Amino acid sequence: MSVELTRPLAELRSADAGRFGGKSSTLGELISAEIPVPPGFALSCDAFRLFVAEAGLEGTIESAMASAASGDVDSVNAASHAIGEAMRSAPVPDAVRHEVAKRYAEFDDAPMAVRSSALGEDSQDATFAGQQETYLWIRGTEHVCDAVRDCWISLYSSPAISYRARLGDAAEEPAMGVTVQLMVDAEVSGVMFTCNPVSGDPSMVAINASWGLGLAVVGGEVTPDDYLVSKVTRELVRKNVSVKEIEYVPGEGGARRVEVDEARRGQRCLDEDALAALVEVGKRVERYFGSRQDIEWAIARERGEIFVVQSRPVTGLAKPAGEQKKPASAMSLLMSSFGAEKKD
Amino acid sequence: MATSTPIAGAFPSPYEIETPPGCEGWEEMYPYYALFDENRREADEKRFWFWNSMHFPVPMPAFDVQCIDSPYQAVGAWQNRVFAVPPAMGIDYRVINGYIYISGNPVTDPEKIAERVEFFQRRAGYYYENWPELYEKWKDKVRALIDEVTNLHVPDLPEYEPDEVMHEAGRNTAFIDVLDAYQRTLRLGDMMWQRHFEFLLLGYGTYSTFSDHCKANLPDIPEQHIAQMVAGIDVLLFRPDAELRRLARRAIADGVDAAFVEGRTPDEIEAELGRSDAGKAWLEDLEETKDPWFNMATGDGLYHYYRSWLDEPAIPYASLIGHIDALKAGKQIDRPTEEIERERDRLATEYRELLPEDAKPPFDELLGLARMVFPYVEEHKFFCDYWFLTRWWNKLREFGQLLARHDFIEDAEDIFQLGRHEVMSALDELVLCWATGGAPRGPSFWPPIVARRKDLLAKLADWTPPPAVGVAPEVVTDPMTIMLWGVTTQRVQEWARSQDPNATELIGAPASPGTVEGPARVVKTVDQIADVREGEILVCAITSPAWAPIFSKIKAAVTDIGGVMSHAAIVCREYGMPAVVGTGRATSLIRTGQMIRVDGTAGTITLLDGASD
Repeated sequence: MSVELTRPLAELRSADAGRFGGKSSTLGELISAEIPVPPGFALSCDAFRLFVAEAGLEGTIESAMASAASGDVDSVNAASHAIGEAMRSAPVPDAVRHEVAKRYAEFDDAPMAVRSSALGEDSQDATFAGQQETYLWIRGTEHVCDAVRDCWISLYSSPAISYRARLGDAAEEPAMGVTVQLMVDAEVSGVMFTCNPVSGDPSMVAINASWGLGLAVVGGEVTPDDYLVSKVTRELVRKNVSVKEIEYVPGEGGARRVEVDEARRGQRCLDEDALAALVEVGKRVERYFGSRQDIEWAIARERGEIFVVQSRPVTGLAKPAGEQKKPASAMSLLMSSFGAEKKD
Repeated sequence: MATSTPIAGAFPSPYEIETPPGCEGWEEMYPYYALFDENRREADEKRFWFWNSMHFPVPMPAFDVQCIDSPYQAVGAWQNRVFAVPPAMGIDYRVINGYIYISGNPVTDPEKIAERVEFFQRRAGYYYENWPELYEKWKDKVRALIDEVTNLHVPDLPEYEPDEVMHEAGRNTAFIDVLDAYQRTLRLGDMMWQRHFEFLLLGYGTYSTFSDHCKANLPDIPEQHIAQMVAGIDVLLFRPDAELRRLARRAIADGVDAAFVEGRTPDEIEAELGRSDAGKAWLEDLEETKDPWFNMATGDGLYHYYRSWLDEPAIPYASLIGHIDALKAGKQIDRPTEEIERERDRLATEYRELLPEDAKPPFDELLGLARMVFPYVEEHKFFCDYWFLTRWWNKLREFGQLLARHDFIEDAEDIFQLGRHEVMSALDELVLCWATGGAPRGPSFWPPIVARRKDLLAKLADWTPPPAVGVAPEVVTDPMTIMLWGVTTQRVQEWARSQDPNATELIGAPASPGTVEGPARVVKTVDQIADVREGEILVCAITSPAWAPIFSKIKAAVTDIGGVMSHAAIVCREYGMPAVVGTGRATSLIRTGQMIRVDGTAGTITLLDGASD
């Protein structure tokens, strides 16, 4: 029986999350819903397992993890370091390299984004802090393979080890998929929630946006522009335009952090049309998944096309005042407007 | 947030307000009970009084005080004595330098509140259950009052009484008839105000309950979307302007549009129309349209100088000329009713879908109730404030003519410089001297008083009243103040901040979305609306639907007071132009010609040329 190491994103569905991780399978679903997603391919968890097996890393991992089990910070760091070193010097398996080269050939040596797609990641139940690595603007099969390995290594980052240690026995054997996606040269990028995460209002889309690639917003390196747009009428209900000091732009060997030129710093980075188009995409994603979504997006420098690069359910949402109260009848609401509610 | 921004001391004490130079003695125009008096200083100084610029934007002429007393008698009677709104009795008012400040009377005793809850629930319930039927009856009652005030005869004083005084049973001599007619005129005004407020509290309360329910579940929903879901389609108030648009189209279709030239008087236009058969036919159509649609007021109706379109045909003719020009320029001038209706239903459907399941049934029911009460909320203005009041003021002008004929005053209009009790007193002397043949003192007594008061009113008009006086509450809880005036905790805090004279930004309620920049046109009195030019931004205390014609010229509207239910807001939404209402003092901070930016989505006005003072 041959193991499946890679698959085009467009052929993935949520049922594949167990083998390819949450991010890749969600992107597959989005593509099937005709949401604009940059094309790409995914590496399965079996590719990771093959890497560990071929390099004979099981022993290293086991002994390092055993010493980290105490949860002591120093020993966790030491284990993370030991595993990372071992992985970094291990080659990516030929079978994996061969498939990556074959898939990547379709992209004509274009720059790619390489991201981890962890098991259980992007689910409603938990956020997997520290397990989400992103490598942007990666070009050439060798560099893509290096970035894939870097994602794998992140599975044993100190925070990831600690996180699994807290889960205890509930933590399954760690494994990870990887998403390799065509890079969008973003003029503007950011995050949107298909509700107001602060007030809980489901009729709003809250959008954070800044110049350049998405790293700046996701990593909290800038105070982004903040827009609140009505889902119902597309009206801009509130906006806070901030001073955006830095941005990430494509550079040799990855994204480069640069200062935003003076003229654009205080400039609003999304106009009404761009906002309306984003809200439209947000509504479609929300409708497709049937729940409020937290969506990473980018607007391409050329032609201004919108792309969704990630989506997951919103967690820990505030409930509006009306939802917290016990349901009231219209007449009792009317009476209380006039201060005429009966005391029980 | 309604947190603890300290606002004590933000507003002056009503006892520290100075009389503007040359206005000494202004108090003589007002009833003794309407003044801040030393003997009740302790209580009055601690209360929160806000300037009711929504209804009384300019200094009050002495007679017009009747349009404070009577409505506040009526609103108090319904609120406090009929419905017994549990936490709020009626509204007290005081006059400062000719401007009207008001303050609600709260009910604080829990037992009393509980007692009133019983009344309120039973009586409000009765109105909700029978609303459409009661509202139909209401319209009949108000129409009867309009008919009576229109037909009421103001008798003259004859040299000799006719024989019928001897022969007809119940026939009075003229002095009785004059005094009766005056008292009946006043009483008809009271009765109209009584009707005016019969449905108002429940009508506005229903709307604000629907609004609160929306906001509890959709905290960021723009206020204007709530109003759009409720607003009527076939609103009576839009009918007069719709009739003008129809007449404009007909003038073009019948080839008589050349008569409508800017700068011509109505008489000149009608003379030209009278020279052709098509023109005559158009004039006949106009005559039929006047009843009832020209019973619009040129302002919000509470002052005697807001006349009707019948009294001031230049107003409807100006808008006829505007409509004809717009039509000939190929512009669309009709209210897009189908679009408004589609949008209203789309908003209601989409917002409903976003609600949690529990909140859907009350949403449906409250929306239904809000739409049920809305015709009253819109239409009472036409029946009461415009149709009845313009006729009532005209009836009082007839008493003015009577007094002027006998030289008690120089001009019929001067009657409005006397309080209603002073007019009673003048009429008493007039009929007394008519009977006795003696020489009246009135002709030497009243004219100097009239002259002094006209001068006082002109000078007081230049004074800028503070938005509030006394001690502001940390939290505004009076439901009626919130519902009827939109005076919320947030608004009071904004007023407090706006006391800064160097402010370059004004904050109000976002009432109609969009952002525009343009030159301001500050309109303080109704006769200034003729000055409004194409592309200006209207800045006024409050507008009324009678101003609809100028809305086809302006780019945006800004008002001192009013909520998203105010007429400026409704009309701007219809015309798709930005509006910010309830700014507190736009008319005093902005000057005509100044460039301003109106953001009707955020509810802000920015003075682009810097602070104006």
